[in-house]
Amino acid sequence: MRAVGHIAVNVFKESVRDKVLYNLVVFAVLLIAMSYLIGELTAGQDLKIIKDLGLAAISIFGLAIAVFIGIGLVWKEVEKRSIYTLLSKPIGRAEFVLGKYCGLVLTLLINVGVMTISFYAVVAYIDWVSTPLVRASWPAPAADPAMLKAIGLIMIELMIVTAIALFFSTFSSPFLSAVFTIGLWVVGQFGQDLREFGAVVNSSTAATMARGLSYVLPDFAAFDVKAQVVHGQAVPISYVALTSAYGVAYLALLLAGAVVVFSRRDFK
Amino acid sequence: MDAIRTEGLTKHYTVGFWRRRPYVALDDVTLHVGQGEVFGFLGPNGAGKTTTLKLLMQLIYPTAGRAEILGRPAGDVDVKRRIGYLPEQPYFYDYLSAEEVLDYFGALCGQSAADRRARIAGLLDEVGIGAERRLPLRKFSKGMLQRVGIAQALVNDPEVVFLDEPMSGLDPLGRREIRHLILRLRDRGCTVFFSSHVLSDAEALCSRVGILVAGKLATSGTLSDLALNLRGWELVVSGLSEDALAQARSRGHVTSATPLSDARYALELPLTPPPEDVLSGLMAQGARLVSLNPLRDTLEDVFVRQVGSTPVRQAAEPT
Amino acid sequence: MTRPATALTDAPATPPALWVALAISLAVVMALEAQMQQRPPLGLPAGTTGNLLYVRSPEFAKRAALSFDALAADIYWIRTVQHYGRTKLQPGELKRYDLLYPLLDLTTSLDPSFDLAYRFGAVFLAEPYPAGPGRIDLAIALLEKGLRAQPRNWQMAQDIGFVHYWWRHDYTAAADWFTRAGEMPGAPNWLKPLAAVTLAQGGNRASSRMLWTQIMQNADAAWLRDQGRFRLGQLDAMDEITLLERAIEAYRVRFGARPGSWDDLIRAGVLRAAPVDPTEHMLHLDPASGRVTLAPDSPLNPLPDPDDPA
Repeated sequence: MRAVGHIAVNVFKESVRDKVLYNLVVFAVLLIAMSYLIGELTAGQDLKIIKDLGLAAISIFGLAIAVFIGIGLVWKEVEKRSIYTLLSKPIGRAEFVLGKYCGLVLTLLINVGVMTISFYAVVAYIDWVSTPLVRASWPAPAADPAMLKAIGLIMIELMIVTAIALFFSTFSSPFLSAVFTIGLWVVGQFGQDLREFGAVVNSSTAATMARGLSYVLPDFAAFDVKAQVVHGQAVPISYVALTSAYGVAYLALLLAGAVVVFSRRDFK
Repeated sequence: MDAIRTEGLTKHYTVGFWRRRPYVALDDVTLHVGQGEVFGFLGPNGAGKTTTLKLLMQLIYPTAGRAEILGRPAGDVDVKRRIGYLPEQPYFYDYLSAEEVLDYFGALCGQSAADRRARIAGLLDEVGIGAERRLPLRKFSKGMLQRVGIAQALVNDPEVVFLDEPMSGLDPLGRREIRHLILRLRDRGCTVFFSSHVLSDAEALCSRVGILVAGKLATSGTLSDLALNLRGWELVVSGLSEDALAQARSRGHVTSATPLSDARYALELPLTPPPEDVLSGLMAQGARLVSLNPLRDTLEDVFVRQVGSTPVRQAAEPT
Repeated sequence: MTRPATALTDAPATPPALWVALAISLAVVMALEAQMQQRPPLGLPAGTTGNLLYVRSPEFAKRAALSFDALAADIYWIRTVQHYGRTKLQPGELKRYDLLYPLLDLTTSLDPSFDLAYRFGAVFLAEPYPAGPGRIDLAIALLEKGLRAQPRNWQMAQDIGFVHYWWRHDYTAAADWFTRAGEMPGAPNWLKPLAAVTLAQGGNRASSRMLWTQIMQNADAAWLRDQGRFRLGQLDAMDEITLLERAIEAYRVRFGARPGSWDDLIRAGVLRAAPVDPTEHMLHLDPASGRVTLAPDSPLNPLPDPDDPA
């Protein structure tokens, strides 16, 4: 199990030296610039827009990292043949897969963490420069800790996307892996529509199939509580707990699948 | 207990998408290597040497048969702690430096940080990597990467070392250094299993060899067992007159003559009379010696002799 | 040992523990998803849009959907139905159907041939509060939009006529629309006569009966056919009540007092058995007033106003 840790740290080193973390600077700068500009342009709505923008940016940037590093995680090692040397060391194939996964999750965690800190810094600044009258008009405080629930669920969503990308990376080229991963992410946003497909089609078989699919495909829409926290609407802990449990179960499924596929491969 | 043992090791690949035809990469290979031996695994390109090594490392799985290292099945995680492997055309992580790569692999082998530090410096010296050890590997030449590869195979002070074409990419000086390294490993009691398509490497280093042709193990044994016969000599001379050449031909001293540049000739001499006599005869007529080398059987010759037919890869039997 | 010839790879069999782990995690995933689907959706303050993908401008939506207009329209339609249903079923508080028309507008802008959206949308919009927003003007506006997109869609024109007839009691306008619909290609031949009857006897039970009969026989949506059946049942019940009330009045004239129950009428030979409405529920006689009403649990309740039986 120690090997998992070493491999994970190596993945993290690679992403750092791969200049992935520079995007954080881009994010932080963008957000700060936006908040300043918006403060000049609008009246009263700026906090909502910044919160919407900030949360959406954390989600999108995180998604980009998860997909574009995830699809190469296993594929690159196989393609470049570094896998030969690595698997000749005393580690199992399962440990390799898990190590790669943990490494990317670690990278994501740090990225999301830094973005969250910049985000809170910006909203705290806005809070500081606003008058008490403006503050009273907000449905939720500026530096609202409830937003962490939204960010936490985003993080779990990203962990699922990473697991999907990793799974495809064990047997598929980066291009196809990217297509499937992004495709699954898009489909996962429309789980509700899959369930209610019966409202637009006459065929009951199609409606049943769509319903069945809605149970198996990742339900990403459930992880999106951004609108709720921005409007100050309560997000009960039970909701977060159930959704998180679902997320953990789903990524366990994906990782088990990745291990099965990877263990059976011949590295020609 | 043998260091390495295979029994009936076979690997079929299916080729083609629609009508899947099986391709026999390795056919019923049985060999064993004792502890402390230096075993040369020889064969022409495409014979299946790398396939054998990958089966030993469980990078691929056998279709039939089995392989054992130090008495444990190939792929056993514990035994991997005691072996090292150099793949052909190695690639490591080009964003890491030589030191960092060795540190990473050493850690995966379960070495403590202190042990790693102590060992890595010495290893890099031994393979001839100097100040470059701090540079990222993407800046390394092929030869330097090969050296790093050998170093990582030795990072855990293994009992058995598997080297796939260890000399490839190295200049003549490098080749000589690695030969010395292998001999040092042997002296330390390490078992060395290396593959090559160059016979002279085997001649210099091995106690035993195995020859693989078209997926089959043609023969294995000590070098003398193989009876790699001398078939003649190659004599290169300059200043040879046409007459002297014609004379030597008519006496049967020269079986063929190839003119080279600078008025030199490459002459093929039969086994008898002894080449020194032929040479002194030609020198008496004004020729001068450039070089004299033995002509031996090639590996194909050995195989042909052993089996009596041209090597052909068989299609797999339907199971 | 040789692998079986049918194996896909030479790899040793995956340890059963791994298959078990896969199966268990799949089962857990599906179970948790079922739980998630059943929990009540997170609330949002009235007037905010949440995850409806609400976009203010149909033109923007069209551009944003790229070439997936029809798919986007389907998705918006599903969200519209969801929104309508959820708002309708919301307990207690003020129900705000504010987004219904904008969502329908979006759906039909993305796919102008989406007949279902126009016609059902009009039905939702016209429903009186609290079952719907009660916005007859918007219902007509939506249908007129559909007619602009498909000027020869006779069903759309008929629907507009229907809204005028049923909800606004404007028989002149209704007859006008039925005529227009009747002139469109493919229109059934009963539309023109229906227009005539409407004009002549607007509000009359006979024209209503004719209209509903046509709808019950010809509508392609089961919902509308059921409506037709229901309304016809009501009309039958109303006819029956009228007849019975006349018989009660005749009894009173003959015997000097109103009948106390159906038995009186049966003994007098006026009825053969206690009368029931078309859904087999007993009709009630009020001896004091002589009025006949439906059983309280009859599904035909509430009957339309007898003076305005449209």
